[in-house]
Amino acid sequence: MIKYDAVIVGGGVIGSCISYYLTEAGLKVALVEKGDIASGTTSSCDGNILISDKKPGFDTDLAAVSQNLFEELDQKLDYEYDYTKKGSLYLIESQEEWSVAEQFVKEQTANGYAMRMLDYDQVHRDEPLLADDIIGGIEIETDAAVYPMAFTYSLIDKACKNGLKLYNYNSVEDIILDTKGQIESVLLSGGEKIRTTNVINAAGVWAPEIGQMVGLDIPIQPRQGQILVAERTRQVGKRKIVEFGYMMAKFGSKNYKRDIHPILEKYGIAFVFEPTAADNFLIGSSRQFVNFDNRISIEVMKGLAARAIRFFPSMKDINVIRAYAGLRPYVNDHFPIVSAVENVPGFYIAAGHEGDGIGLAPVTGKLVEHLIIGNDINIPLDLDFAVQKLSFNRFF
Amino acid sequence: MKDDVIVCRCEEVTLGEIKEAIEAGARTVTDVKRRTRAGMGLCQGKSCEIIVQRQLCKQLNLSSEEAHPARDRAPVRPISFGVLGDEYND
Ligand SMILES: Cc1cc2nc3c(=O)[nH]c(=O)nc-3n(C[C@H](O)[C@H](O)[C@H](O)COP(=O)(O)OP(=O)(O)OC[C@H]3O[C@@H](n4cnc5c(N)ncnc54)[C@H](O)[C@@H]3O)c2cc1C
Ligand code: FES
Repeated sequence: MIKYDAVIVGGGVIGSCISYYLTEAGLKVALVEKGDIASGTTSSCDGNILISDKKPGFDTDLAAVSQNLFEELDQKLDYEYDYTKKGSLYLIESQEEWSVAEQFVKEQTANGYAMRMLDYDQVHRDEPLLADDIIGGIEIETDAAVYPMAFTYSLIDKACKNGLKLYNYNSVEDIILDTKGQIESVLLSGGEKIRTTNVINAAGVWAPEIGQMVGLDIPIQPRQGQILVAERTRQVGKRKIVEFGYMMAKFGSKNYKRDIHPILEKYGIAFVFEPTAADNFLIGSSRQFVNFDNRISIEVMKGLAARAIRFFPSMKDINVIRAYAGLRPYVNDHFPIVSAVENVPGFYIAAGHEGDGIGLAPVTGKLVEHLIIGNDINIPLDLDFAVQKLSFNRFF
Repeated sequence: MKDDVIVCRCEEVTLGEIKEAIEAGARTVTDVKRRTRAGMGLCQGKSCEIIVQRQLCKQLNLSSEEAHPARDRAPVRPISFGVLGDEYND
């Protein structure tokens, strides 16, 4: 029977990126996915690759490393996935937001990140269809985007060329340990058993189920988000555009409250505009804990549309053709778990990326390569610090 | 039908691309949609889904229900941002 160096559970963007890096490094790898590739959360998200929504410090550094890895991947992958680097724009609605934004930009530029404040005239010249009362913005040069599902297929395509064995439409039913408590094999729904010494749990919101198989409680919860899809239409905005107000709490003004309808607050709605390569645009998104319910709701859709018109009044006559919902794998400190597990040698977790799984997929893949092979992965991060910060241990 | 025939007119997806997606692992109309964009256009698959479904049945020997489970169907009709957003826009 073939024995694999590693078996990855989950064919979302995270598992696919890990399979790419591990096969590039020469390992013999199998990936098990219960449906088609990219059929979980990766099928219902945006494709933004951002540093702009990260806190100064490690949060930004991690995202920036990943952004740079996207540049490298662009040279290496074969299958097209609409990688664009148009930067992003944050919209500022009030003086209070302006002062927090200024402080934020000052700190980030001091750390070497390319951002700048845009005043009233600049922001309205750049984006002529903006609501008149927007007082300014932040421009972030390096922010990028991909079409997330195509990116995932592209990783798998390359990994397969590197020898990845793909078990799609197969789910992992159990993980079997030997008498010493080490990983021995993985049992699939079809009854097949695959031998391996390493298992990587990249099952996103389902990662806790896989954890249970080896007696672990993994603290990841689904946090639902909904998105509206607009019809193909004239250009509304040139790049990714986000409201800064929603970021305020994150950047330090915990008591800041946006002046919005209570319904929008209730559903955690923040304006995110993303033009797509197909000449239409997406409007996101909401944040709600509703267990594994991933149905869209008309109330959330109304809230998203209201928030969109607030920033771009001329969207009024454009049609919404579809809506979708996805489940972000949420961890309470907003960092993913990318970690070995002390008590279960050979078991790794790479899940819990909440709203950043696309952007953080490359750096996650690299870190897993480091954890498993122990090699120098050549990225500008303090690896010991990163490993500690993202460890499963941090919850105990 | 020849491979260069356009199956999804809204998104300009050919039969050949549909076949490739199925070969790469797609098993349902939704899988094909994710891989090719067929069905993501303005008509939301009204004209192309049935052809994709038939191709799946033929290529993978599936029943129509297997190729397009009921839970996968899109629930929304086009509606403008203005009408949708009117209630909470203040
Ligand atoms: C509305 C919304 C907007 C978002 N926007 C962005 C954005 O702009 N930028 C960004 O970076 N991120 C964004 N995200 C977050 C991003 O989508 C996720 O972080 C990412 O997709 C998670 O990927 P994953 O591979 O961990 O999970 P998934 O894609 O869910 O993959 C896990 C896979 O595991 C499989 N699986 C589960 N159980 C088993 C089993 N027993 N056996 C085998 N397989 C199994 C599932 O089928 C699934 O395919 C957004 C999310 C949402 C909901
Ligand atoms: S023909 Fe395919 S979406 Fe309209």
